[in-house]
Amino acid sequence: MQIAGNIIIIIGIIFMFFGVIGIYKFKNFYSRILISGQIDTVGALTVIIGIAVKHGISFFSLKLLLLAGIILLLNPLATHITARSARLSGYLAQEQEPPPHDKKDGV
Amino acid sequence: MYIFWIIPVFLILYIIRIIIGPSVWDRLLGMNLVATKVVIIIIAFASLYELTYLLDFAIVYEIFGFISTIFISLFLMERKKGGKK
Repeated sequence: MQIAGNIIIIIGIIFMFFGVIGIYKFKNFYSRILISGQIDTVGALTVIIGIAVKHGISFFSLKLLLLAGIILLLNPLATHITARSARLSGYLAQEQEPPPHDKKDGV
Repeated sequence: MYIFWIIPVFLILYIIRIIIGPSVWDRLLGMNLVATKVVIIIIAFASLYELTYLLDFAIVYEIFGFISTIFISLFLMERKKGGKK
């Protein structure tokens, strides 16, 4: 039980590591928020489930699952609101350099 | 546990991103991500010392982080529009 929990936590940390890479790799704000919002939620959920597995069936893991549900519900909503606020305020993606494949067409 | 030195490294990388972030919304996104990481640290701490009541702090912190993200983004939307209404 303990080892399984540890393995799940390590997988969650690997997801978070990809989230951090995602933030620095993408130059465009909208692609960055898409990637980091999703991966961060998944990483957090995996770590929480891993800790819940480490504690087996108890009030602790029940409360952890409640927190996992709340994170699952709120995080995507927060990311959506941020992106929507950026979009409605006219923060156009063209301000950054366009994605590499466009350069070939001379756009 | 090993969580306590991996997660702060991610936190520092997020904070660097918040400082660099070209636009205000990058900072808002970074704030939301940092809030989630802090929740993870609270949970790891609670699981290490078997303190069940700490999880309530994590839930409340997550909800307040979410609410703050909502109102900051709403404020930014009105400010950028320059109140053309």
